[in-house]
Amino acid sequence: MRFVLRGLAWGALGYLGGGPGLAALVRWMGGPAWRLETVLTVGYPFALTGWLAGVGLWDAWARGWFGLPVRPLPAAGWRRYLAFCTDHKVIGIQYLVTFVGLFLLAGAMALVMRVELAWPGRTLVGPAAFNQVMSFHGIVMIAVAIAVVLGGLGNYLVPLMIGAPDMAFPRVNALSYWLVPPVALLLLGAQLVGGFNTGWTAYPPLSEINPAGQALFILAVITFGLSSILGGINFIVTIARLRAPGMTWGRLPIFVWSVFAASVLSFTFTQYLAAALLMVLLDRQAGMAFFHFARQGTPLLYQHVFWFYSHPAVYIMILPAFGVALEVLTHFSRKPLYAYRWAVGGFLGIVGLSPLVWAHHMFTSGMREGLHAPFLVTTEAISVPTGLVFLSALGTLWRGRLWLRTPMLFAGVGFVWNFLIGGLTGIFNADVATDLHLHDTYFVVSHFHYTIVGGEIFALFAALYYWFPKLTGRLYDERLGRLHFWWIFLAYNATFLPMFWLGLHGMNRRIGDYPPALAGVNLFVSVAAFLLGAGVLAAVVSLGRAWVRGPRAAANPWQATTLEWQVPSPPPAHNFPAPPQVVGPPYPYGQPGLRHAVMPAVGGDR
Amino acid sequence: MPLADRWLALGLWVVLSAAGIAAARIDIFPPAGAREAQVADATFRLLVRLAAPVFALVVTVLVVTLARRRGHGDPPPDAVPGPEHPAVPRAWFGLTAALAAYVIYNPGLVGIHEMRGDPQADLVVRVEATSWYWEAIYPDAGVRSRELVLPVGRRVRFEITSRDVLHSFWIPAFRTKVDAVPGLRTVLLVTPTTAGTSAAHDAYRLQCAELCGTGHDTMRASVRVVDEETFRRWLRGRQRAAGPGRP
Repeated sequence: MRFVLRGLAWGALGYLGGGPGLAALVRWMGGPAWRLETVLTVGYPFALTGWLAGVGLWDAWARGWFGLPVRPLPAAGWRRYLAFCTDHKVIGIQYLVTFVGLFLLAGAMALVMRVELAWPGRTLVGPAAFNQVMSFHGIVMIAVAIAVVLGGLGNYLVPLMIGAPDMAFPRVNALSYWLVPPVALLLLGAQLVGGFNTGWTAYPPLSEINPAGQALFILAVITFGLSSILGGINFIVTIARLRAPGMTWGRLPIFVWSVFAASVLSFTFTQYLAAALLMVLLDRQAGMAFFHFARQGTPLLYQHVFWFYSHPAVYIMILPAFGVALEVLTHFSRKPLYAYRWAVGGFLGIVGLSPLVWAHHMFTSGMREGLHAPFLVTTEAISVPTGLVFLSALGTLWRGRLWLRTPMLFAGVGFVWNFLIGGLTGIFNADVATDLHLHDTYFVVSHFHYTIVGGEIFALFAALYYWFPKLTGRLYDERLGRLHFWWIFLAYNATFLPMFWLGLHGMNRRIGDYPPALAGVNLFVSVAAFLLGAGVLAAVVSLGRAWVRGPRAAANPWQATTLEWQVPSPPPAHNFPAPPQVVGPPYPYGQPGLRHAVMPAVGGDR
Repeated sequence: MPLADRWLALGLWVVLSAAGIAAARIDIFPPAGAREAQVADATFRLLVRLAAPVFALVVTVLVVTLARRRGHGDPPPDAVPGPEHPAVPRAWFGLTAALAAYVIYNPGLVGIHEMRGDPQADLVVRVEATSWYWEAIYPDAGVRSRELVLPVGRRVRFEITSRDVLHSFWIPAFRTKVDAVPGLRTVLLVTPTTAGTSAAHDAYRLQCAELCGTGHDTMRASVRVVDEETFRRWLRGRQRAAGPGRP
């Protein structure tokens, strides 16, 4: 806590010096008086520097570099979770707790929207507040979807699964995480200076003429992007360089492959989002005219640059979820992963195609009609590599011996069903003749919630239950787990299936009011949404209770084959007493004589 | 997998696929008021029919494996993996690629062509979006109106622009939309085929579909599709009301 408080104090000092201080200096030297937005924007880099230095970079990095005596940071006990800790397992838990918390907060915002939408007309919030709530829900959920599986589970599990003591750059890893609290503070603080009301997409011209909250939104997204890029580099290098002896690329657990694929995307494309938003910021504050039509800028340019990142971004979200789902499916079918190499090929095919599809978000944007056909072709082509992931999932289930524990319900039933619907409805959005109507309606809202919530968040729950014993050293309550699965699964589908009908029947997205004919279905959706919210909350609370009070877990309660289960639960610092020797494929179920790894010291290997 | 499971799976897949294909006949659409709406709805139905066997396949595997392949024991003993025939993934890849190629061709590219239709129009309507209202301008008649009135059966060319932020011109009964972009004139060609009014069904409304600020959700204009005679009478009435010299 001391370091967090010091970070806040140094951050505040940095802001006062770099924002109001600099503004006063400029004024004193005869320069112009700065607007509040400019003070906030210029002060922010100083605040961020102060925060990072205070929270641990000064002690962990700078003191040693400058030859000062190095002070140890907390390395044990609960205090390390509130400090600049370089242990990948601590960072994984930090990511998970932070983003599950943000998920609940942004989920509560969704319920505010569902109250407003339960009845036509104004119910709870006015239109201006509705747009702010909707935008906050959107951008926070995007951040959650980007980071909760990749940052949380990826950090915790990748070094364990490849037999490494930690990530390749442990301090960069801690830096990635400690860039996140400023993002949350900026998005919340933006509400004090007018908020932001342009959804998570921030299309200009609206995003260039709205209150100062939009500038803080932009700074938040750029900061989060930096975190995402640093995380991407770290995963790529870790997986490329720190695999245990014998861990060839063909023996990597499938989850590690999915993290690798997603990291290539986040490392490669995040800067385009930052660039697009930086241009909006410069238009707003420096009088530039990238997107300002009255000064010969072009609003459409923003959408191209924005989606050039933001379509690959959905694969940053869903690829690790594919990895989780296949991982759980194979362990709980007690069978090797079917068509492993084709599934990896599917991941890489998605990576390869994902930068070629962005303008399918823009069929109605007014871009040249000649661009419709090529982007329809590339978009629908992505169904082929995605189909390979389904081949692997279905082939693994087929002839399996299904162990229907909670993780398997979330992955095998929840994920497969939801993502199937999400994927197939995507074709209706990729097809121009149907998309011209469906674009910007609840059909799209439902489609992307089916892929990201029904897909990724269900995979997250599968992962939380599956790796719960490893992460916490405790067992969750199986009966409650199954109850929560069925509750969440049914409430989820009751909430989102009717939205396809709403969109088809003329309910556009991002609205607080709609024609009265849509009232009945909307009320149904709102009631279901509250059931869903209650189910998610109940699941999170019961997992939290099990973390504190659950019975102790053994090292390998699932009798699973991969390396993370061959060390105690939770694993000790630096994971393995000596590097494990990998001698076979990751899932040698039903193949007597084959094994994944030989552990150097005593340990329950398989 | 025992032989019986394979036949069970095949039967279930056929039944579910047939049910899905049959379900595509159900009319789940709002009123279709334009040629473009008929193209869009036919495309939607075709996609449902094409998606049905794929949906059915995955559901079949889920149902059959969940019903028949539960392991017993905690954990169950390992499955006995059969040989992985290399032909299966190759065939899957080939089949899915062929299916994707077909969907890209029809309804994909065919749908784009049909949706676009005849580029010649016989009525031009300019549309101006301003936060948060719509104005329709009939340049030939010199009429400006907050209500959009269109004659049945004539091909209309909408020339759309915005005076401030992005908006989107969408009439659900026509199943098509295009953004109103400041500094740009976007074009939408539509042939209304069925008379209808906002009062009778809200699919006949001009609704902004691109987030544009506080008034976004209620940025609507009334739409009336009427017969040619009524349309002419309406234009004359508007001309008289506006007086000479005003656009």
